[in-house]
Amino acid sequence: MPILNSVYRHREAGKTLTALADYRAAGGFKALEHALGEMEADDLQYAFVRSGLRGRGGAGFPMGRKASFLPKDSKLPKYVVCNADESEPGTFKDREIMEMNPFQLLEGLALAGFAIGAARGYIYIRGEYEHQARILDAAVLAAREAGFLGTNILRSGFDYDITVYRGAGAYICGEETALLESLEGKRGQPRLKPPFPAVAGLYGSPTLINNVETLAALPPIVTNGADWYLSMGTEKSPGTKLFSISGHVVKPGNYEVVLGDTTLRELIYEHAGGLREGRRVKAVWVGGSSVPVIGEEHLDVPLDYESLQGVGTALGSGGCIVMDDSGCIVRACLRLATFYRHESCGKCSPCREGTSWFERILQRMVDGEGRMEDFDLLESLFRRVSGKTLCPLADGAIAPIRSAITLFRDDFIRVCQEGSPRPDPMLPATVG
Amino acid sequence: MDADQIRAHLDPIRHEFADPRSLVMPALKFAQTEKGHLTREDMAAVAEATGYSPSFVESVASFYDRLYTRPVGNRVVSVCITLSCMLRGSDEVWEALCEHEGVDHHHGGTSADGRITIQEAQCLGYCDRGACIQVDAEETQGPFTPEEAVKLVEELREAPTPAELWR
Repeated sequence: MPILNSVYRHREAGKTLTALADYRAAGGFKALEHALGEMEADDLQYAFVRSGLRGRGGAGFPMGRKASFLPKDSKLPKYVVCNADESEPGTFKDREIMEMNPFQLLEGLALAGFAIGAARGYIYIRGEYEHQARILDAAVLAAREAGFLGTNILRSGFDYDITVYRGAGAYICGEETALLESLEGKRGQPRLKPPFPAVAGLYGSPTLINNVETLAALPPIVTNGADWYLSMGTEKSPGTKLFSISGHVVKPGNYEVVLGDTTLRELIYEHAGGLREGRRVKAVWVGGSSVPVIGEEHLDVPLDYESLQGVGTALGSGGCIVMDDSGCIVRACLRLATFYRHESCGKCSPCREGTSWFERILQRMVDGEGRMEDFDLLESLFRRVSGKTLCPLADGAIAPIRSAITLFRDDFIRVCQEGSPRPDPMLPATVG
Repeated sequence: MDADQIRAHLDPIRHEFADPRSLVMPALKFAQTEKGHLTREDMAAVAEATGYSPSFVESVASFYDRLYTRPVGNRVVSVCITLSCMLRGSDEVWEALCEHEGVDHHHGGTSADGRITIQEAQCLGYCDRGACIQVDAEETQGPFTPEEAVKLVEELREAPTPAELWR
């Protein structure tokens, strides 16, 4: 199916919309004007629920329902927090939105703020995205000067402003409670849940946390109506999704597809330009690196939440990493294990100790010193770590390794016996 | 950096946070721009400016990759080595840079002249431009071949060090 650039305005306009005038010309801030002028906060929240929009950060939880969990009678101020700590390996969609279309994110944040009656919105952006943070800073200033943020927005009586807050390099801060800890000026370590952020989030106040892509989808939903959004995609996966595709493909990049409309094969071969001549798909991590890996046999799966779950993986963040048959699956697993070992925050001992063992065992396999007992050892470690931690990082570390061992067992056994010489990489080619 | 300079940096944003503890991170990031890393004195100044204890401030600083509690080079070169970049040749880029700067191939490090630090980075979010490299907190660049990466650090070595070291 063709690409449908309908939700994110810079894609529809085919250009960067970092100037407020350009964003306005592309239909920007009409949704905020409409909502503040003609809608009640509850109607707006109901529109979010009706649209069926699911969280685009990885968990896929319905956005409107999350907003409805915030207590209506709380005396505490409420907050909206945008999770822009995009750090999932293979994912770079939020970066594109912030770089090319910062105002749509701000408009979405303002709409979410109005819907829940928030006092302020925060964008928590990863420290490595300083360039994008500066674009957002400039956009916040411009929006404030034009009266779309600040006090008495568009003479509606609604006061709301946005703060861009920089992280300093920690994957774990993409986990919502770790993000809140970090935003509160502490070490970014996850909290025990419940209470969930909807009840006790930032500074103990009711807080709505959503991903960049989720919030940026709100303005067109308000302008075109929930039915319009619902008309795209499948029953359980409405709307469009940005997929970031990278690795061994000819044209890596972001592609916006209608959920359920496009297969993984079409994404790889039609949109991302396919693989190099004579190469075949070996492994694909469809939803970032924290999901089970799938092989060539599942290339015809439609890209939506339920179909991907049906083949044993997950849509996750939409960061699709493709490896062709020149790559070594054990080395790929080792590299991911190193990632999770490095990013484990150290709060829960099963994760802190477990992730470093995953790495050590995979390292000796790659060195040709693996033992047949290592398969049982890894499995027993997985059982001892999985589900015994405060956040899903450890399970995210386990999913790609466990699934790879099941799917590519012969490769693992061969590497244990012979080691794995480093394969040649795919050198810079066409970049889409 | 002293506490007054940090206070002056924080004053315009103080009202944005219901709890002043949120100012600790912006304060640390700003304090680091002077020397490119945080000394004990810098952290004590952050503690004084924000009203939290030096040990708390240090516990925050030690958690984050991009807050450096030990000296680093004039410019910090982060090489993304996560899966997408690995498939596009980041290991070759990494080794070429370590070789060129004469630092340890496993851990990276700072060149003997103190100009360049080579460090591994986990996914920088530029997987479409792998193998990618970020200099300090500037916009990440890519894709790089090992030769192009060496050229980048050679140019960096000649270039003047920025007045403020945002990392």
